[in-house]
Amino acid sequence: MSQAEPTIGKKRRSQSSDVPTSGIHSLLKLLPFAKPFTWNFIVVLFLVIIYNGTSVLQPYLVKIAIDRDLSVHHPNYQGLLHITIIYVVIVVLGVVANFAQVLVLQYSGQSIIREIRLQLFRHIEKQSMSFFDTNSIGRLVTNVSSDTETVSQFFTQFFLSMMRDGLSVVMIVIAMFELNVKIAAISMIILPILFGISFAFRNRLRNAYQATRSRLSAVVSFLAENLAGMRIIQIFHQERRQDDRFGELNEKHRRANVREYRTSVFFNRVLELVGNLAVAAVVWFGGGSVLHGAILFGTLYAFISYIRQFFQPINSMTQQWNTLQSSMVSADRIGKLLEREPSIQDKPAVERIADVSRVRGQVEFRGVTFSYQPDMVVLKNISFRVEPGEFIGVVGPTGAGKSSIISLLARFYEPQMGSVLIDGKDVRDYAQDDLHQVVGLVQQEVNLFTGTVLDNIRLFREDIPRERVVAAAERVGAHHIIERMPHAYDTPLVGKGQNLSMGERQLLSFARIIALDPRILILDEATANLDSQTEELVQQGLQAVSASRTTLVIAHRLATIRHADQILVLEKGQLVERGRHDELVAKGGLYALLAEKSGVNARVVSGS
Amino acid sequence: MVPVNPRTLLKQFMLEHKWAYIVSLLSIVLSEFVTVQFPNLLGQFTDLLQAHKMTPALILHYAILLGAVGVLYVLLYGVGQLWNGTLGRRFEYILRRRLFHHWELLSTSYYRYRSIGDLLNHAMTDVRQVREALSGGLNILTNAIFLLIATLYMTLRTVPMELTLYSIIPLLFVPVFVVWFGPKVRLASKHVQEGLSDMAELTEESLSAVRLIKATGNEEVEAGRFRLRVEEIVRRQMTMFTRSALFQSMIPLMGSIAFAIALLYGGYLALTGRILLGSFVAFTLYLTMLIQPLQQIGFVINNFQRASASLARLAVLLGEMPDIESPEHPVELPVVRGRVAVHLPTFQYADAEEPTLTGVDFELPAGQTLGIVGRTGSGKTTLVNLLPRMFDPPTGTFFLDGVDVRDLSLQTLREAISYVPQDGFLFSSTVADNIRFGDEFASSDEVASAARDACIYDDVMSFPSGFDTVVGERGVTLSGGQKQRTSIARALLKNAPILILDDSLSAVDMNTEKRILAALERRRADKTNIIISNRLSAVRHAHLIIVLEEGRVVERGTHDELLRHDGVYAKMYHLQEAEEAVG
Ligand SMILES: Nc1ncnc2c1ncn2[C@@H]1O[C@H](COP(=O)(O)OP(=O)(O)OP(=O)(O)O)[C@@H](O)[C@H]1O
Ligand SMILES: Nc1ncnc2c1ncn2[C@@H]1O[C@H](COP(=O)(O)OP(=O)(O)OP(=O)(O)O)[C@@H](O)[C@H]1O
Ligand SMILES: [Mg+2]
Ligand SMILES: [Mg+2]
Repeated sequence: MSQAEPTIGKKRRSQSSDVPTSGIHSLLKLLPFAKPFTWNFIVVLFLVIIYNGTSVLQPYLVKIAIDRDLSVHHPNYQGLLHITIIYVVIVVLGVVANFAQVLVLQYSGQSIIREIRLQLFRHIEKQSMSFFDTNSIGRLVTNVSSDTETVSQFFTQFFLSMMRDGLSVVMIVIAMFELNVKIAAISMIILPILFGISFAFRNRLRNAYQATRSRLSAVVSFLAENLAGMRIIQIFHQERRQDDRFGELNEKHRRANVREYRTSVFFNRVLELVGNLAVAAVVWFGGGSVLHGAILFGTLYAFISYIRQFFQPINSMTQQWNTLQSSMVSADRIGKLLEREPSIQDKPAVERIADVSRVRGQVEFRGVTFSYQPDMVVLKNISFRVEPGEFIGVVGPTGAGKSSIISLLARFYEPQMGSVLIDGKDVRDYAQDDLHQVVGLVQQEVNLFTGTVLDNIRLFREDIPRERVVAAAERVGAHHIIERMPHAYDTPLVGKGQNLSMGERQLLSFARIIALDPRILILDEATANLDSQTEELVQQGLQAVSASRTTLVIAHRLATIRHADQILVLEKGQLVERGRHDELVAKGGLYALLAEKSGVNARVVSGS
Repeated sequence: MVPVNPRTLLKQFMLEHKWAYIVSLLSIVLSEFVTVQFPNLLGQFTDLLQAHKMTPALILHYAILLGAVGVLYVLLYGVGQLWNGTLGRRFEYILRRRLFHHWELLSTSYYRYRSIGDLLNHAMTDVRQVREALSGGLNILTNAIFLLIATLYMTLRTVPMELTLYSIIPLLFVPVFVVWFGPKVRLASKHVQEGLSDMAELTEESLSAVRLIKATGNEEVEAGRFRLRVEEIVRRQMTMFTRSALFQSMIPLMGSIAFAIALLYGGYLALTGRILLGSFVAFTLYLTMLIQPLQQIGFVINNFQRASASLARLAVLLGEMPDIESPEHPVELPVVRGRVAVHLPTFQYADAEEPTLTGVDFELPAGQTLGIVGRTGSGKTTLVNLLPRMFDPPTGTFFLDGVDVRDLSLQTLREAISYVPQDGFLFSSTVADNIRFGDEFASSDEVASAARDACIYDDVMSFPSGFDTVVGERGVTLSGGQKQRTSIARALLKNAPILILDDSLSAVDMNTEKRILAALERRRADKTNIIISNRLSAVRHAHLIIVLEEGRVVERGTHDELLRHDGVYAKMYHLQEAEEAVG
């Protein structure tokens, strides 16, 4: 099955990125996950042999009954009784073996998925942020939840079918040869015919399957995105248009699906046809032999049964064709994900910091140049230094690159040139775990989780006591707002905090970072949605916490950073000014312009 | 619109395609007629052989007959199966479209409590399950039932009644078992589904917040939470597999016991010469033919049970009354001027303990600008959400051009309002597609002009692919302010009589804010604007400013009036003025 893979792989590579590029070997790559369960598989094999043996024996027993006890001239009821008892024992044995086999196999399969899932999840978490810029979350979720499930079907269904059905075929063939070599040999003519048919259908089935699969994922992504943005669709009254689009995607999927179905029905019926014709042929040929006395009638009976039985495993193996297809596609996706080295990793022999609280918190950018995509430089040759305990403001027009600076400091991305240092040590020389304990960040985007307010503030870390959470909430002035909620700190948040106002969400994410108590505190527009009064409360809290640590604040409202020890002004990725508030105002540059505009009464529009 | 039950849809569909169904089921039934001839022919063949009446010509005759039976069966069954499966897929399509259509009618309050993963699961898995039952299940069921009846009939014809009856006794336990044990299997499989949903939800949530998780070094904690879910799934899966394995072992076991009886008793009858060996042979063949449909019926019943659970879940979904709909006889408003009046005694969220808004009362003539300010959580967003009926206001409280918004068709109402929500959502397509969202036929000039007025034009032009830049999921590759301005441009392009900006300038710098405000003034001079802002500079020149506190309007007036009043607004002003008072 695997020899022809590579060429087909190549052909497909050119079609679309959604289509997998490999075959069976992508599945083989996941084999290490199955390794700890080798013994389980051996046990399964053993049980399958028992089960198969019992089912192959059944027609044989009947044959003995017919030839030895029934059709001869001195009928033997005693013998018939014995055979029936043996028959029942064998059947029970088979059923028990089958039951045990299912459990052992499924347990192994499930354990394999569990391991794949855990590893996949951790692996995705380890990827750098640039990975998440291009990979949709919906697709990653599919990888973790359904692709793993599909792959496990390979180990449970496909593997089982190959063992059980393959074994059946072999055993039936052996039994046929045992019975009568000549008829058995002639019957073997169907093997090449079957292979020929399978081969002829192979590509068509595969292509049809893949077309359906990629159409289906288009439907899923469309749905996921549109359900998330339903409010926008409704506000803009675009229901009809989106409905039409959905109809189109859906129709494409239906067509592909029908085509796939037709192909597989056709395939299965053709195989069945071969089976039926084979029985007719056996009757014709075997009947002649019985007539010439070459074989007993019981033998012919057994042959007919075997030929019919022969097609059952063949049929179920071809049914497994789809399983194989889908698990190959899924294994391929999982394999690609697992193979992907996170573009940002800890150095091999990275030195861990013994005590994070001993980090002084000096930050330095040295000639940093950075771009997300090759042809668009976002930060150009940025250099600055922040002494431990300083309070730094970062301002600049929107899109200037402020958030990008923060991303570099947290090593979400790496600069193309220059270096970012904390306490004189390049951030690349820190373990990411340490780095992220040192650098605490409140981002522009607020993320809340399904869970209580308490758990959201302490991020599900059991080691942070309730008192610390409450203290943090008090610090940022969120305490009285939380107290007003139905169950105060134990109020569950739904739909990522959709039952809170925007400002409330922002306060929670602020409290969160205070509770985590990092050495370097970074706020990216953390108060943008707050009103002046609340902001003032937050400011007071901030002043208290920032006294003992390095603080970097990005803000459009200059009041927030007016008292900063140093203000960095960014414009189009360049550090254009730096200094204290009054120095910068006096200088009359971009900062002075922004300051002028920030007044309540400012209305003048600068020509730009 | 009236909610529909998917069962009704199914019935309608089957009625509509009744001929196709009749033909396909008929051809399956016919194929079974043909296939039951198989053992019969073999039996006759055996008897002839036994009686030494067989000749080579007869052998050929039987072989050809058997071959013909084989061909005919495959043809008939294949046709029926194809037809049925195609119809099933058509229904799948219809159901899925219906579902999406229905979802488009449901309001925000519905979506806040649903996870997208869960809804997706309905649209994909539940719908597929119904289709599987409908196409595959129907094929197999027709097949199995007919086979059962035909085989029984043939059995009764070939061998004495007693033999059949005795042999069949163990098989009678099968349906009993199915009815008793089936629901247990179903329950277990439901638990598995729920476990899977749970895990998918957690994954989605964690990965959307991956930046936060990284920033706080929380990877291990998340992985721990994930592990709990995964392990729960393994436990539930094993329960389910144990049950279903038991279920599936039972049927063949009974079948084999039946066979044993047939062997013993039938053999005895054959021995004593009461039946011919040929009949015995045919009978054992029939019995093996019985086991298969029985097994299949078990399988199909499982399938149907699952599908009926799915249908029930879909029925709940589709039965969800769209709580916000156009009235039956909407008031026509040929031209919307944009006069807004609000006389709202109270508004309370369904799950809140106290009202969020109380006694909000104001009028805004067409073409004027309203500013709304107030502290965090004071109800500003809630207030503006009521106007386009994102949440439904009580009747007689919100008026557009003097008409209760609840008397207008949703189309008229929502076409009259452009809205920039506080948490702007962008689609993962290009910048141009996003701006054009409200009007897909807008020319590129219009797009560019909206982008200019929203001050996003220069940013977009600086991107290597300009307006064709793909913004990534929810706009991840844009800066905070760029996202916000893109959604402003989207609203400006729509050019509706009323524009609502909900804190939409919070992520832009002061200079850009001023430019956008100036552009607004130019572009929307004679139109109604509602601006929520925490920065008073954005509402300073509004014709009317209302100040909300804990859901009440505590102050109202123009900027100057409010300053004179020396209340909350004045305090805010002084706070912000201090910002301006540069050292
Ligand atoms: N993940 C990304 N991939 C590609 N480009 C990006 C990405 N994130 C930001 N950019 C681009 O980099 C530039 C700087 O973005 P950044 O987020 O640093 O701006 P900012 O100064 O924080 O602006 P704002 O005040 O609007 O938040 C912008 O032009 C933006 O489009
Ligand atoms: N769906 C909801 N169910 C219950 N309560 C809600 C819901 N949405 C918002 N609230 C609550 O109603 C109050 C008003 O919220 P709203 O979003 O209107 O505030 P806001 O004035 O817009 O605040 P912000 O300036 O922070 O955006 C808040 O206390 C909030 O927690
Ligand atoms: Mg930013
Ligand atoms: Mg709000």
